[in-house]
This record gives sequence, structure tokens and C-alpha cells, in this order.
Amino acid sequence: MADERAPNGKDFDPMGGFREARDNYLDAWAKTMVEAVNSDAYAKASGAVLDTYLSASSPFRETLEKAMLHALQQLSMPSRADFISLAERMTNIEMKLDDVDAKLDEITRPAAKPAGPKTRTAARGKRKGAK
Amino acid sequence: MAEAGVFADQLSGLPEKILAFNKAVTSKVPIAQTPKEVVWTLNKAKLYRYVPVVPEAKRQKIPLLLVFALMNRPYILDLRPGHSFVEFMVQQGYDLYLLDWGAPGPEDKNLKFDDYTLDYMPRAIRKMKAVSGSKEFSMLGWCIGAILATVYSSLRPDDGLRNLILLTAPLDFSNKQGITFGKWVDEKFFDVDKVLAATGNMPGEMIDYGARALKPVENYVLNYLKLWDNLENPNVVEAWKAMNTWVTDNVPLAGGAFRQLVVDLYRNDRLMRGEWMIRGERVDLSRLRADLLTVIAEGDHITPPCQSEAVLSRVGSNDKEVFRVPGGHIGIMAGSAAHKLTWPHIDGWLRPRSQ
Repeated sequence: MADERAPNGKDFDPMGGFREARDNYLDAWAKTMVEAVNSDAYAKASGAVLDTYLSASSPFRETLEKAMLHALQQLSMPSRADFISLAERMTNIEMKLDDVDAKLDEITRPAAKPAGPKTRTAARGKRKGAK
Repeated sequence: MAEAGVFADQLSGLPEKILAFNKAVTSKVPIAQTPKEVVWTLNKAKLYRYVPVVPEAKRQKIPLLLVFALMNRPYILDLRPGHSFVEFMVQQGYDLYLLDWGAPGPEDKNLKFDDYTLDYMPRAIRKMKAVSGSKEFSMLGWCIGAILATVYSSLRPDDGLRNLILLTAPLDFSNKQGITFGKWVDEKFFDVDKVLAATGNMPGEMIDYGARALKPVENYVLNYLKLWDNLENPNVVEAWKAMNTWVTDNVPLAGGAFRQLVVDLYRNDRLMRGEWMIRGERVDLSRLRADLLTVIAEGDHITPPCQSEAVLSRVGSNDKEVFRVPGGHIGIMAGSAAHKLTWPHIDGWLRPRSQ
């Protein structure tokens, strides 16, 4: 085993030199790439790629959406828009419930006040214990 | 000959190493382990209260609310046992709450900063006050969560906010050359309406690509090389897997909020110019009077320091401090040095102000 150690006492690593060269190269590449993505040219190119993709996919997407909507109507099934409308109503109901919860908290708070903080702490502990 | 032997050993172990690498990259690890309970919900948002571990008499009197970004999961704050800001703060005796925005669906595409700051946050804060029994509270906002916290604090300065901590807060968008995201979403190159017409919400994958593309070699090459080089070190592998679990768990950003982020902030810097209107109210930073700690990551490429510095001169707070930490956007809170540097500083600043 002794001959598997380098003169400096560390384990011999035949890939050490390669790794060091690799890390140096990657560090340099990383710095170059950070500068590249921070350029106007990169912003322009990535914007153009995204725009091309959106323009090219738009007709297919719209056609698919229309076909799907038509199929769902024929099958008397709710569409995405129906579900979205339903979800929005649910959120509104949740907000109303939250308003009620706020009022309940207000009503119950004065009732708890005379008991003082010590009693309140005890009551909390009791509830936890009961569980 | 010995050199050839070691080299042969390394080659013969290669198939096992590839398998171990593949397993590490594709497996998820348990995250967000600190015990908590849901105390409030609205739509996809949830307010968690972490179960206290310190006796009530020794706890800090003022509860602390954590508000994370809209487009990432908030469990980066509670990544894994022993490496969790949440766990640390609970152990320091804070009554800790976390506002989790959840993942917006197609029905939430019109949600804006207006809704988050004037509907969701006041309701969650009211519930936190009711549960904690405290009229005052502290708030910590990170990244976009810091924008939300700042806007809320400016619009509702009399709502009991005593202490505000902003982490890597992107508030100042005036330095057009220093903010890479700002270049990418410039109106010359990026049609925000066209994108949102196609997607509704901003897909999590696109946001993830944007964040990674800021440092492409680090994120797409060096990150995996670090794992490869340290496969024999279980500590590094566990930390890598936890972080990878979080990084690959993407959340879309509601379309309305994304449009505001691009048009109102990145393009027009309306918050710092005092022109940002939230549901008809102007966001006036001078109305923010809470004690303020701003934490700046010196190596932050997502929110460069120039975006967080100017806020101190604009707010109305008398007690304000800036804390600069070496490290990146996420690393300052979830990196290996966070528990020695950032967390103790936040605790040290907040503790005397929580009595």
C-alpha cells in the first residue's frame, strides 16, 4: 500500500492531473458563459427562439382547444372554462368563510380575556393533552 | 506499476459509481421534517404553525411569519433535519409561521400582487395573530416574498408589524446593466402577453430554466460534477439530494403576478420610483416604519446586491441595518455555512426586538 501514496503522503490519484485541468477549463468556461448570457445578443436570441416557438405552436394549440371544446360540448361534459369559473366561486366562498372565521375570533376573544394569560395557557395544554 | 493498479481499480469501480450517481440524481429525499400544523387555508395558500419545542415562558413573545417566493416551494427554509432554518428558529424559541402560496392552477392565472398582498396576506396575518394571541408580529420575506412583505408593510403600516427581515430582496430595478433577468425580459426581446396567452401562468419549468441559465456551466455541469467527485462522501450526497429535490420541484407563477413583475418592476422600476399602484393604492416605501434588517448575498446572481441596497434610504424605519453575507441567492440560507453566519445573525437581530 505504501507505494500507492504520493511523495506528499496523500493517496495517489492517477486522475488528479486530469481533474485539475478539467476544473481550470470549466472555471474559464463558466466565466465566459456568464458574460455571454448577460449580453444583449443572448437576450435577443433567446427572445427570438421563444417567439418563433410560440408563433409556430399557436395555430395547433388553438385548433386543439377548439376541437376539445367542441368534443366536450357534444359529450355534455364541463370544459376548462367551466372548471375555472367553479374554482373562482369556491375561492370567493372560502373568503366569505374566512370573514366569518374572523368575526368568530373577534367574538370569542373578549370572552377569553378575563381568564388571563395563565388560564389560557392551561386550557391550551389541556386540549393538547386530551388529544 | 502501482499507478497502473490504482487506475485499474478506479476503472473497475466505474459501473458501480455510475449506478450510485444515477440513483442520487433520480431519487428524492424526505424534506420539510419539522413538525407543523395547518392553521389557515385560502385557495392554494396555507399557513403553517411550527410546533414549539421551547416552554411557553421561555419563548419569544412576538411571532415570526416567513413569506417565501411565489415560484418555488418554501421548504428550502426547512430542507432537512440539522440543516433547517425553521428548525433552528423553533429551537431558539420563536413562535414560527410559514405562508405557503401553493401552486397556482389555470383558474389562478389572473392573480396579482394586489391579491397576494391585500387579500391573502392580511387574512393569514389576522389568523396568525388570533392563534398566537399577539397583536404584533415579525415578518421575514425572501426573494419575491421580500417584495410581497415590503409592499404589505408599506400599504398596511399600522397592522402590527414590528420587525421586517428582507432576504435577497429584488426591489430596485434601476440598474439595467447589472440585472441579467432585466435584459432578458426587455420589451425589445420578450413579449410577455404572447407568452401568457399561450401558457396562462408562467410555467415552473421556464422559470427554472431562467434561473439556471444565469449560470449555465455551474448549474448544468459543475453541479453534477460536484456530486460525481463526492459520491463516496455521504454528507455531500445527502445535501446534494435534498437541494436537488427542492430545485426540481418547480411551481408556476400566476400570470397576473408575472406580468406585474416584468412590466411594473423589471421594465419600469415602479416600486422604487414610488409609482407602483396596488389596487388603487400607491406603494409608498416611506410609510414602512417597522425595524428593518436587509440581508444581501454578495455573490447573488439572481438578485444582485444593487437590487437590495437602495431600500434602506427609502423606508421610514428608524431602526434599520444591512447585513452582507458571502454566498449566493440560496446558499446564504440553505448552504453549509448558513447555520454559522446568516441564521445566528438573524436570531441575534430579532431576539431583542421580539420581547
